[in-house]
Amino acid sequence: MSLLDKLEAARSFQDHLGELGVNAIGATIDVVGSATEGRIEGRRVVLAGTNNYLGLTFDPACVEAAMQATRSHGTGTTGSRLANGTYSSHAALERELAEFLGAKSTIVFTTGYVANVGTISTLAGPGDVIVLDADSHASIYEGAKLSGAEIYRFRHNDPADLEKRLKRLGDRCSRTLVIVESLYSMLGDISPLREFCEVKERYGAHLLLDDAHSFGVMGRNGRGLAEELGVEDRIDFVTGTFSKSLGSVGGWFASRRHDVSPLRAQIRAYMFTASSTPSVIASTRAALQLVGKRSELRTRLWRNCARVHSALEGLGFTLGAPASPVIASIMDSPEQAARAWQVLLDAGVYVNLVVPPGAPKNLSLLRCSLSAAHTPEQIEHIIDAYALVAEQVLGKRRPAVAGAV
Amino acid sequence: MATYDECVAHIQQLLSETVAQGEVVAEDVDLIEELGLASLDVMELIEHLEDVFDISFPINELGDVRTIGDLARRVQPLT
Repeated sequence: MSLLDKLEAARSFQDHLGELGVNAIGATIDVVGSATEGRIEGRRVVLAGTNNYLGLTFDPACVEAAMQATRSHGTGTTGSRLANGTYSSHAALERELAEFLGAKSTIVFTTGYVANVGTISTLAGPGDVIVLDADSHASIYEGAKLSGAEIYRFRHNDPADLEKRLKRLGDRCSRTLVIVESLYSMLGDISPLREFCEVKERYGAHLLLDDAHSFGVMGRNGRGLAEELGVEDRIDFVTGTFSKSLGSVGGWFASRRHDVSPLRAQIRAYMFTASSTPSVIASTRAALQLVGKRSELRTRLWRNCARVHSALEGLGFTLGAPASPVIASIMDSPEQAARAWQVLLDAGVYVNLVVPPGAPKNLSLLRCSLSAAHTPEQIEHIIDAYALVAEQVLGKRRPAVAGAV
Repeated sequence: MATYDECVAHIQQLLSETVAQGEVVAEDVDLIEELGLASLDVMELIEHLEDVFDISFPINELGDVRTIGDLARRVQPLT
């Protein structure tokens, strides 16, 4: 296959979706009116596929902080962190994040993807071993590949399967980095983190948790799944993102057990890319304050999750996991998923269309992500749109009484 | 330790039960370009082989694997 054949194959898949009347891969949001509303292809839509879990993208304090920082520090840093791209605000964010997490130190990156690629490829190297969950994010696979370490996969969310692999590694476990996520972004399922901690401790391996999706969303203070389960001190390294609960863009690396700061001078993805703009750092700092203080956002988010999850179950959808901020409906085929996605869009609801190989096990999904900012009316609107999908695409009969789902 | 031929036979059996609808896939068929396996299918095949032989297969090795024969040659020393 030549390089251009690959381009042709990609084009033909796009064309195939296009024949179904779907522009899912290239859907453009023309106007964003709020954290939960926008305009796509001329339609007003409720945004239910944006990972904006706490709805902070339009929070007045975050917006104001970003505007002020742009006025006072300019639009960009025009350099990497090791050169001219570390402003006092970058350092302040690292301190504040460390304080919030109870970490010895943190390193801030330009994106979450870069945080994973950079830290994983630096922590592990040739002669080391990485054992990762099979459903890990692409950035984890890329970081692992780049590290030069030996890489093994274990079955998704299966501590017993991890244990089998660590047992086979024997005394190489001390050179082994185990990688799991907290909340998996495609199916919305949650990791058995306590059991993973027990297994890695039994064999003397190290654990890196990617907390992109539970940070801000779980735990009494919003420190994620590890806080909720009381295992924060047992996790060696944590990575995360600013582009979900914190409503901006960027990534981080932290540890309660080790001072990771010196590693920044070894991480190529940190050294050789421009640092985050002042506005991004400022809005992230403002959002971080809110995550800790406004626990009612988590209460509202989880109420929305429970409502949508039970309604979709009642409508006959096959869902990827128990209620969480990501609610994935498993469809029979990419074509059926594409039709359903279009029905939702026509009904004024935007979710993510996921087709193979984007999701585990070659599944085709309608991926809905919920926000604390979704109003009760928007939540009912989302459910009504899914009811149309159930009727028109899945061929289910509509319940006789509205709200009986 | 399994022989090369035993590894080939196991891989052929797994493929026959999953993607090949009962057919035996020849040793030199390209798994992706000719048999049409997606990368995730290859990963699942590896998971089954790990169970059958009680081994861990490093996925770094997959880069050079094109055929059943290639895979069997890498699995065999691990058994």
